[in-house]
Amino acid sequence: MNELSIERLRRKVENINNLPTIPEKIKQISEIIGKPNISLNEISAFISNDPALTTKILKMINSAVYGFPGRISLVSHATVLLGLNVVKGLLIGVSVSEFMEEAMSGLWNHSLACALTARILAQRKKIPEPEEVYAAGLLHDIGKVVLIQSYRKEYEMIMNRAGDRGTTVVEEEKGYFPVNHGIIGGWLAEKWHFPTRLSEMIKNHHDPMKSRTAPKETGLVHLSDIIVRARGIGFPGDYSVPVVNPRAYELLNFSESDIKETLEEMEDVMELTEEPSSL
Amino acid sequence: MRRVSVDSLRPGMKLAKPVIKDMTTLLGEGTELTDRLIAKIKNLTIADVVIDAPREDGITKETLLRQLDLRFQDRDTEPYMALIKRLVREHIEDSHE
Repeated sequence: MNELSIERLRRKVENINNLPTIPEKIKQISEIIGKPNISLNEISAFISNDPALTTKILKMINSAVYGFPGRISLVSHATVLLGLNVVKGLLIGVSVSEFMEEAMSGLWNHSLACALTARILAQRKKIPEPEEVYAAGLLHDIGKVVLIQSYRKEYEMIMNRAGDRGTTVVEEEKGYFPVNHGIIGGWLAEKWHFPTRLSEMIKNHHDPMKSRTAPKETGLVHLSDIIVRARGIGFPGDYSVPVVNPRAYELLNFSESDIKETLEEMEDVMELTEEPSSL
Repeated sequence: MRRVSVDSLRPGMKLAKPVIKDMTTLLGEGTELTDRLIAKIKNLTIADVVIDAPREDGITKETLLRQLDLRFQDRDTEPYMALIKRLVREHIEDSHE
C-alpha cells in the first residue's frame, strides 16, 4: 500500500461516482448542490419530485434537531424558512445518512452529534453561517466512507490496529494511505463542487490551522469532533480522542461554561433524535 | 425523554411531548397511553412520538466515566486535553445524577 501515490488515490476517489455501491440519488444530489446559481424553487422542485426524499427532509425538519414549534408539511415552506444553504446541507445530510451508517455503524450518530455541537458553538461565537458549520459536521468523516468503499480490507486493518494500540484511525491511516480521511473527504467535496469553505472544513478537520478561508469554522468542527468523541456518542472508527490543536483552541477561546452548556444542549437534541435506520 | 416508533408504544407510557398533526394538538404532554390511545396514534400515520423514559439504555455514570478515562489514556498531558476531559467528566457527573 505504501506505493499508492497521491495521484492514484485521488483519481480513485474522484471516480467514486462510478462505483456501483454509490446510490444514484447521492450522485443526483451532489450535482444539484454543486450548481452555482441554483434557486430555492429549483431545489424545492427537486425534493418534491421524490416522495422518499420529501419524507426524509420533512422528518428531519420536524425533528428536535430543528425544533420548529408546529409541523411543517410542505417542502416549499421548509426551504423558505430555512434558506438555501441549510437546505443544501440537509439534503446532503439525509442522503448520506444511510450510506454512512452502512459503511460504519455509529458513524452517522457521531456525525450528527458533531454537527449539532459545531452549530451550537458557532452560534455562541456569533459565526456568520452556523448552518455551514453544521453541514461540515455532518460530512466531516465522509472520507472514511470513501476509504471503506474503496479499500475495505485496509480500513478494517486500520480500525483493528487503532483498537489494539489505543490510537485513532487518523494516526493509523498514515501507515496505509498518503493522506488522511479529511483530505480525501475534501477531494470528494471539491469534485462534487461543494462551497469552498465547506470543502476546507472537511479537508482540514484534523489540522484546522491549515484552512485558509475558514480557520475558525474548521476549528469548530475539529473541537466538536473531539468533544463528541470524549463524550462517546456514536462510533467514528476508534475509541481514542484525538489531541486538540492548541492554536485552534486558543483562537476559539471558549469558556468552560460554553463547552458544558453546549454538551448539555446537544445531548438533549440527540435524545430526541431517531435512530438512522428509521430516518 | 426518548423518541420511539409508534410500534413500540405500550400502555402506561407517558407522552413527553404533545402529539401534533396538521398544526393541531391531539394529545397533550403528560398523557398516559392506553391501548385505545395507542390504536388512535397508529391511525394518524405518525411515525414516532416522544415519551418519558430514562436516559440512555441503562449505561451507568460509572461506565461512562471509565470509558472517558480509556479514551484519553495518556493524552491528557497534551495542552488543553486535561481541561476538555475535566469538562466532559463534570458534564457526565451533572447529567447522570
